[in-house]
Amino acid sequence: MKNLINVDSLTDIVSNSVGILIIFAVINLIHDNNKTYELEIPIEHETDLRPAYIISKDDRLLLLDTEQVFENAAQQASNGASAGKRIFELGYEGLFAQLDQDKGISFHARVTDNWPKFTELSKNGSDLQKQLDSIDPNQYFAYFFVYDETSLGSTAGSGYESFRTARNYLKARRIKSGWQPVNSEFPPSICDLSFSSNCRYLPSFLASDTGSP
Amino acid sequence: MANRASRYARYLPQEKLEISLFPFLSIFLCVMGVLSFINILSSVSAPQKIQLTMELEQGYKVAFQIFTLPDGMIVLPPVNRLQELQKVVSDQDKAELAFIILNRQRLIDQVMASQANPANSARAPDTEDVLEWMYEIRKINEMALQANFLYEEFVLFGVYPNGGQAYQKVRSVMSNSIDAQNISVGLEPLDANWSLSLHNQGAK
Repeated sequence: MKNLINVDSLTDIVSNSVGILIIFAVINLIHDNNKTYELEIPIEHETDLRPAYIISKDDRLLLLDTEQVFENAAQQASNGASAGKRIFELGYEGLFAQLDQDKGISFHARVTDNWPKFTELSKNGSDLQKQLDSIDPNQYFAYFFVYDETSLGSTAGSGYESFRTARNYLKARRIKSGWQPVNSEFPPSICDLSFSSNCRYLPSFLASDTGSP
Repeated sequence: MANRASRYARYLPQEKLEISLFPFLSIFLCVMGVLSFINILSSVSAPQKIQLTMELEQGYKVAFQIFTLPDGMIVLPPVNRLQELQKVVSDQDKAELAFIILNRQRLIDQVMASQANPANSARAPDTEDVLEWMYEIRKINEMALQANFLYEEFVLFGVYPNGGQAYQKVRSVMSNSIDAQNISVGLEPLDANWSLSLHNQGAK
């Protein structure tokens, strides 16, 4: 009965396979350390398209409904809440706002818990997908305000990953996108170019993408 | 006969092979575990080398690289193709270009001196410096255009986490500079564990 179970051949196969795997792992390790990744850098271009603003923070994305935002801001301003560059509650997705003649309207994103996570972009039919799909590439490009502040233990800005994912998602739908880094010192702001030369929102793309709308 | 043989065999002393596989398997699994752990650890913590390049279709466009960090910024201006440009421009431009190359080489040398940790060479953005770089880029682009030399410099920002402040300051200076108005700009977010590849920055 004992002769029926022979572990020798099994051990032989297992040790050989694992040995090869270890060699692969070591080669992979050495190879990985010498790998250099090359990034393609999109360049900003002038455009006739209008920006659709998106705030990217804490791995979450918020597509701003500018009409609603301006309406709420105007209402607060008429109540005197925005006087003296005071930060006031905008009543829109947890955003606070500040009005300034040079910077226009600045947004302070303090609570982002209700914003959709960027991972929802991988779920078919999610609200975030629907929102981004609603951007018409013939009229609009997506402009991201990307928070560059890091959370504890993270190697990227809190909005980097969500921005990259959303940018790829939009690129696949031929929607152009541009971005700028923002933080609590330099919050996202929407202003008119006629007030300040800093108020430029341009899409960035590669020369090979110019054929798309 | 067969019956007798089998009865005889029953009384033969059995040779038991007492080999325990446990120590072998235990050492084996330990080695595997340690190696897997090192592999996972290195893939998570080892910095990736990033070389910022542009696409081939814009091969004549060359990046004036500015990396913005929490402590300031690192500037890596291009010099290699300027020596080719120097051969085709007027004598007056040649002298100016030589001065620009010298200035840029000095900047590169500062970064190369701290190649082990380029972040050490980061410094706060200085308005005068930024304005001078913009002037140089505009001048070079004009020289190349006049000499019909396929070469155009653009400003490329690599924005590291918490590097937005330095970026905003440089862009603010640029937006008020007449020289910067026709200069193209590219920008890309970089993770903190993406290290710069400096091997292609030395002058030929």
